[in-house]
Amino acid sequence: MATYDHRLSDGGPVAEAVESAAVRVNGLTRSFGDRQVLRNVDLTLARGEFTALLGRSGSGKSTLLRAVAGLDHTTVGTGEILVPRRVSLVFQDSRLLPWLRILDNVVLGLPGDDARERGRAALDEVSLGGRASAWPHELSGGEQQRAALARSLVSEPELLLADEPFGSLDALTRIRMHRLLRRLYERHRPAVLLVTHDVDEAVTLADRVLVLDDGDFVLDLRIDLPADRDPGDPLFQRHRTTLLGALGALPDDRTKDTEEPS
Amino acid sequence: MNLDLTSRTGGGTATVTGGPEKAPPSSAPPASTPPADARTPDTSAAAGLVPAIQRRLGRGKSIPFGRLLGPLLLVLAWWGASAAGWLDPRKLSSPASVVTSAQELWVSGRLQESVQASLSRALLGLLIGVAAGVVLALASGLSRVGDAVVDGTLQVKRSIPNLALLPLLILWLGIGETMKVVVIALGVTVGIYINTHAALVSIDARYVELAEAQRLSRWVFLRKVVLPAALPGFFTGLRLAVTAAWLGLIVVEQINATSGIGYMMFQAQQYAQSGIILVGLVLYGTFGFASDALVRLVEGRVLSWRRTITA
Ligand SMILES: Nc1ncnc2c1ncn2[C@@H]1O[C@H](COP(=O)(O)OP(=O)(O)OP(=O)(O)O)[C@@H](O)[C@H]1O
Ligand SMILES: [Mg+2]
Repeated sequence: MATYDHRLSDGGPVAEAVESAAVRVNGLTRSFGDRQVLRNVDLTLARGEFTALLGRSGSGKSTLLRAVAGLDHTTVGTGEILVPRRVSLVFQDSRLLPWLRILDNVVLGLPGDDARERGRAALDEVSLGGRASAWPHELSGGEQQRAALARSLVSEPELLLADEPFGSLDALTRIRMHRLLRRLYERHRPAVLLVTHDVDEAVTLADRVLVLDDGDFVLDLRIDLPADRDPGDPLFQRHRTTLLGALGALPDDRTKDTEEPS
Repeated sequence: MNLDLTSRTGGGTATVTGGPEKAPPSSAPPASTPPADARTPDTSAAAGLVPAIQRRLGRGKSIPFGRLLGPLLLVLAWWGASAAGWLDPRKLSSPASVVTSAQELWVSGRLQESVQASLSRALLGLLIGVAAGVVLALASGLSRVGDAVVDGTLQVKRSIPNLALLPLLILWLGIGETMKVVVIALGVTVGIYINTHAALVSIDARYVELAEAQRLSRWVFLRKVVLPAALPGFFTGLRLAVTAAWLGLIVVEQINATSGIGYMMFQAQQYAQSGIILVGLVLYGTFGFASDALVRLVEGRVLSWRRTITA
């Protein structure tokens, strides 16, 4: 097995192949030692589609996301991954550089003379306009994550990848971040691949939910709910139950046991 | 939108409605910024409750000019011992006679001359050493080839004290100014190199990942990520280097110097003028102390983003 070179997708003729799809993954495998974490995964994400990726802990969600982000240089595997030119990534930690002020963090790597202007606009969008010259450690956890969101959106990505971006936030902040993310998504319309292990988060935010288990998708669920979603809605509940079932997390589940893969 | 919070908020809702009015008012003052004194233990409190005071584990507030305290106490003790007649003035003169010696040296112009000679030596050696250390650290910290060539060599040099190199350096460069500056620079280079290199190669992998995700060019990556991350290490190295420069200076001024503080002290030794020797020691000490304070000051300014336990 050879280490897959993700750089194939950086420009060149392959990039032209991506037209209607924002992401196209063919036959992706990834292994750590003898353990195959992803087995021949195929995935197509439409442009502007909000997809959530669910799965038990250790099911390979992060592995898949890092492969799509092109960050798994040292992981062994095969397969083809096509992505758009402008891809952004949101990490679970805000990952702001402590030695750069918030605005400088937001415009890190952003080309163009108007970079700082665009950075300020992005900070306004996440209601951090007044904190542009603060140091990262002066912001609360939620504010830091909002700054990270601004950094990922300022480059107008066609694909936004996020690995449990709200995992470290408290429940109330998380709900506010959901609304913010959904609002930003509707304004900018990138394709989104959001990794989460929170079923409610997936049903609240996404138009499509994928469940990863044992190296491949076991469920591909469309969420046909209005944008402003009510968890009390029976359809919301039904989706929730379906997903929990696929995750083996229902108490009366007979098809799957809930023990962790070794 | 009315999201159902119950499944996820748990105890979190309590943080919104606020705890104070739920707690017994006698024992738990409102959590919002009470002055420290208002938190004194109230032993009559309800059973099982303790005052919300934690032992402070940081080092507390810094004392202004606190660093000067130790040296001042030392001088004071010296003064007292001399005045009480416990010290033989031929072995250790009193602070007063040291001040007199310094005055005489000043009037004759020898003090300024010696200080200038020593300072320019140390400064030149320091500058050359810092520049060389930084260049070598960058070369080996940023490229595998540089690492292969430079790092091993510097580690070998590190284990050979400068004193052991002196005979060779004197053989090559003579006993003039060049040799003196080179000896000082060599000591400085190693301290700067070791610390800057360590900081460069131990950069947090998460920041490298961020840089890749943001598609930074190699140059921007260096400027915005690698170099700022390595600055704390560089400053640690710089403080060691400054010490090394003074140490090197003292060593080389023992070797056939014809100028400088060391020369001044050597002559005083010939004529048993312990006052002048002490003037030299005080000068060395003052320069060491002042230069360290200066580096700390610059470090504090440059690394103002750091929130350390000393803050
Ligand atoms: N660098 C690595 N070296 C060895 N094994 C790894 C490495 N990264 C991931 N793994 C293994 O691959 C499997 C999938 O990991 P991954 O991080 O993708 O899971 P995940 O679905 O993101 O889990 P979680 O929800 O806990 O974040 C795990 O069993 C993990 O132990
Ligand atoms: Mg993960």
